[in-house]
Amino acid sequence: MSFSRPVDETLSTSTPLSDAPNNKDGLRSRRVRWGAMDLSLIAVFAALLAASIAVPGINVGPAGVAITLQTLVVVLCGLVLGFARGTAAVGLYVLLGLIGLPIFSGFRAGPAVLASPSAGYIIGFIFGAATVGLLATWAVRSRWRAAALFAAAMAGTVVIHLSGIVGFVIKGMSLPTAMLADVVFLPGDILKNVLAVIIALSLHRAFPDLLLRRSK
Amino acid sequence: MRGQAFLVAGYVPGTSVIHRLSLGIKALLLFSIAVLCLASPLVSTRVGVLTTTLTLVVVVVGHFLAGLSWQRMWRAVRMMLIFLVLIMGYQWWQHGPWVAWSVIAAILATVLASNILTASTPVDELLDGLAALVMPLKRFGADPERFSLTVALMLRSIPFVIGAFADVRDAARARGLERNLLARSLPVVIATVGYARATGDALAARGLGEPESS
Repeated sequence: MSFSRPVDETLSTSTPLSDAPNNKDGLRSRRVRWGAMDLSLIAVFAALLAASIAVPGINVGPAGVAITLQTLVVVLCGLVLGFARGTAAVGLYVLLGLIGLPIFSGFRAGPAVLASPSAGYIIGFIFGAATVGLLATWAVRSRWRAAALFAAAMAGTVVIHLSGIVGFVIKGMSLPTAMLADVVFLPGDILKNVLAVIIALSLHRAFPDLLLRRSK
Repeated sequence: MRGQAFLVAGYVPGTSVIHRLSLGIKALLLFSIAVLCLASPLVSTRVGVLTTTLTLVVVVVGHFLAGLSWQRMWRAVRMMLIFLVLIMGYQWWQHGPWVAWSVIAAILATVLASNILTASTPVDELLDGLAALVMPLKRFGADPERFSLTVALMLRSIPFVIGAFADVRDAARARGLERNLLARSLPVVIATVGYARATGDALAARGLGEPESS
């Protein structure tokens, strides 16, 4: 049996990619234009974010924001799509929510969300996904992949929560109250990060070329 | 389709004065309300209280002028009620009742004003506005066509993802795993990624969405 094709198309992600093409890709990555597949992934993950608020969530904490799978998907965007595409997906979602599609939690929409006290979280989603994406590219090649991905997810969660607290304080809440209002959501988010890592590991197994670009 | 219904849920059809204003003017009004509410308390407490209260009154009048209901106003406020109470308490304790009122009134006015904008403008018009907003960026190397394609793809995908959530919930329920978070979410994400890749392949096969000249 003979292969008609050379098999260096990096089907598995467990073997570290050779440095040479990797470096070249890194250098050019600022100017690498997204192809149709990238656009499709960005659009569909943004849709996943929008849909995750439409399905009934789990109610934790004293009234207020309902806990949905939303932060899970934000983290997942970073873990699965990496820095640039993950940030773009979350950014697209936030942008469309801000211009008025009812896709923020509780079907809120429009620039109003920026004026509401939980605005910090919405903005934090973008930075959170960026942080997770930045770390995930490294984490997925690490030897302790699951632990590294979880660390990346936690870093993103910290960024989102800090941003949320800043948002509360800007709107005129005292720092201790803001931290108290925030910490209610922390256990849920840690649980969701565990879930996100399990999902991301499955996805990387099912679609090995998802995060690491195929060498062309 | 259920997903589509959910996307247009924010729009309330009508023929009021506010419905007939163009999107540009409404956006401008909203922006000036936000500026008024943010800037006026910086001048002095008295000016801040007066301006934010007046703005709030104008916005509430606008709300009913656009033919919107009490329920809709209450729904917008209810979402952030607990945070408003916390903010009010802290501001009252730190700076007295007047400052507390102007802070709360500013938040309420901007939130309700933007609520009116969303309720009186069809989604299509909002998206057209966004496309028009992105157009000038072409000069700086942005690609409005590909951006619009991505937006369209996202909107088209929402019903699919909502459907996937419903299918997976039914499947999990059939197996008695309704409360299993993983059984409820993993299949959705895998189906979604599969869908994204199928769409990406279909686009590429038609030469859509690829960067020009590379």
